[in-house]
Amino acid sequence: MLNGMRNLGQAYLARDGKAPAGTEDQNIGPRLRNGLVVLFGPFIGLSFIVLLPLIPVIFVLALIPRIALGSAALESDEARMCMGCHSAPMTKTFVNGEKLSVHLQDKDFAGSVHSFAACTNCHSDVHLDKHPSAKYASKRDFLLTVAKSCRMCHDDRQLLASPVHKNIVNWANAPPCSDCHGTHAIRKVAVLKAKKNISEYCLTCHGKDLSTSINGEKVSLSVKADAIRNSVHSKHACTDCHAGFSTKEHPVKKFGSKRELSIALSGACGKCHPDKMKQMEGSIHAKMLSNGNLAAPVCTDCHSSHTVGKTALAETLAGIPCKRCHEDVFKMYRESVHGIAKAGGNNQVPICSSCHFAHEVKAAAATEKMKEACLGCHTEALRIHSKWLPNAGAHLEAITCAACHVPETSEGGHRSIYLYVSDKETGVNLGEAQVEKILGKETSLQTCEESGNCISPDEFRTIYRKLGKDTPVQFTGRMKLQSGLDAHRLSLKKNAVRKCEQCHSAGSDFFSDVKMAIMKTDGRVQVYNVDPSVLSSYMAILPLGKFYAIGSTRVRVLDYLGILFVLGGVSVPAAHITVRILTRGIRRRKKGGHR
Amino acid sequence: MKRIYLHPAPIRLWHWVNAGSFIALIVTGLQVRYRGAISLMSFEQAVDIHNIFGFVLLGNYAIWLLYYLLTGKIKIYLPPAKLGEFIKKAINQAKYYGYGIFVGEENPHKSTPENKFNPLQQTAYLQIMALLIPVQLLTGFFLWDMKLFARWIDLAGGVKIVDTVHVFLFLFFSSFMIVHIYLATLGHTATAHIKAMITGYEEEHESGH
Repeated sequence: MLNGMRNLGQAYLARDGKAPAGTEDQNIGPRLRNGLVVLFGPFIGLSFIVLLPLIPVIFVLALIPRIALGSAALESDEARMCMGCHSAPMTKTFVNGEKLSVHLQDKDFAGSVHSFAACTNCHSDVHLDKHPSAKYASKRDFLLTVAKSCRMCHDDRQLLASPVHKNIVNWANAPPCSDCHGTHAIRKVAVLKAKKNISEYCLTCHGKDLSTSINGEKVSLSVKADAIRNSVHSKHACTDCHAGFSTKEHPVKKFGSKRELSIALSGACGKCHPDKMKQMEGSIHAKMLSNGNLAAPVCTDCHSSHTVGKTALAETLAGIPCKRCHEDVFKMYRESVHGIAKAGGNNQVPICSSCHFAHEVKAAAATEKMKEACLGCHTEALRIHSKWLPNAGAHLEAITCAACHVPETSEGGHRSIYLYVSDKETGVNLGEAQVEKILGKETSLQTCEESGNCISPDEFRTIYRKLGKDTPVQFTGRMKLQSGLDAHRLSLKKNAVRKCEQCHSAGSDFFSDVKMAIMKTDGRVQVYNVDPSVLSSYMAILPLGKFYAIGSTRVRVLDYLGILFVLGGVSVPAAHITVRILTRGIRRRKKGGHR
Repeated sequence: MKRIYLHPAPIRLWHWVNAGSFIALIVTGLQVRYRGAISLMSFEQAVDIHNIFGFVLLGNYAIWLLYYLLTGKIKIYLPPAKLGEFIKKAINQAKYYGYGIFVGEENPHKSTPENKFNPLQQTAYLQIMALLIPVQLLTGFFLWDMKLFARWIDLAGGVKIVDTVHVFLFLFFSSFMIVHIYLATLGHTATAHIKAMITGYEEEHESGH
């Protein structure tokens, strides 16, 4: 451009006879261009001036047919007659009290694909000589009645060709056609959706009151656009989660229930949150789900489906999703030191996920993480316990926090000793399947699920030997509350177990209930009653090598051995003294002889 | 009456500290293990006292070991090179306790600072000082802080096994103390050996020998 201007300038200077020396003969190109400008320039300029006013004229003329088409319906006598009244503001009141404006203007018909149709083609119950006398129950009833007219032209074959129609056409509660296609400015939905992004496209229908029925259960298919906009997923397209759907595809998916639908859709979360999904897969909830328990929660139960974000999170943090299934736990929690503090406005206290974690929820009996959760806040716990509790670390390892910090009452708070069997090398607890594989299905364990002290010391040793036949195993003892429910009733420090004698005395109640705990496949623990005398049996010295409480679980055989030792220690001098007394005469005589 | 300086002051001190600690440990040990049957003190107090005297015994053992190693007197615990002769002497000593003492025979063993123990004492004390006390101290030390010594406890087979060993030795030492005190009365008078452990001098009776 600049070069062109420069050349033109040079040409102008040349016309004035002031061309730079040496350029006239050498630059033939600019001279040719100047020639073309002079030749055609006036024609181009003239044409531009003449055509400029024609542009808006052409534009208006191009729109006339559309405008003409839009109002064509209004050109008939019938339409003029209808509009004679309906062009004035008026409303229709339905039986249920709903009101509908029946005031129409020309613009309401703009762009309609039904421009050729007369009003009564659709409002078939209306004639020039007869205004509808029918009473519609509701606005919806009215719209559904009018929609029946659509089927007069659009038969099933045509409708079923569209996946969307195919999906909803036979619903008992299918929406009226006008929900998607409009009322008077009827047009193809594709035209409506053409300029929309995929989510807006979906919301064209799903933004309306839309529902389906699965085996008689009403399932809402409506999504509030605001909910999406305010969620943390506002920038996601619907199809990011609802895979397989697009502007062209709307597959019909069959689910047995609304719950199955939620569970299937929750699987989509793993696409962006694989870490959380992996954690969840190891949880007791996932195990329950895989075992066929559809009541087990999935992502959407805690995070909601479309309102993922602050609101849903606030509810999650308040434990509301947990409460749906664990109401009894909430009752206990409310009475606990934490629950009371929370009710008092302290937001630092733990909630469900603080101890059970959000995604990797495990049965309390099957995890050591519970203690980590307590110590996560009570960081000084070990130091404080060490002030008065000898071997505080070992105590904290073998006893759950709740076992001491939940007061025992007639209603609960009873403790049990849980004996977990683990691989001696790896420390990993043996599962139900492994135990069954080694012991066989017909074991004495099967009869020990009922109350009663089933596993005797002798049986216990036999089980230990069998389990450790190929790989050495080790039983680890833990003192826990019998009921996981009670564990939520944590009390003030002053109510905790503090006296050593409560535990370290023969016959302590704390050791009167013993259970063998085997990990079940669903993450929970199967318990078998064990005779408490196992704890103090010499037969359990090896199997229970890692569990010992001075005084209370002492090996009884050693007591008898002790009595034997002391008796031996006393009887040797006693016997010796006796013989010395009896032989006193001999020594006296010998002494006398010497003299 | 001949007086032999048999027990140097450090050994006498060591012995009585040991004796006191043993009694304290046995009493508190019984209290800890048989809570309910015995109520001399609270469990907490018993554990605290037991721990304190455990460390006293540990320190005392170290003093004993250092003294005997540094002075070279450790050899009084060691059997002589001639094992046959040692066994013969041991049998003679057993014969004396089982028979000779009743008929007024002289003790075949004459204690000297260089040869303090008779063969039976030498055998017993060597086992006690070189094996049983260290094992008792070590198991006690492990049980004092089970987390700190978790690896060692695991190596030993678990806390129950460590405790069983500790209790077994506690029973042995309790029984041993009874026999030990009785044997201490078998000097030329009932208190001769005990006095010697206080003064250091053993009076040797020279009745015709």
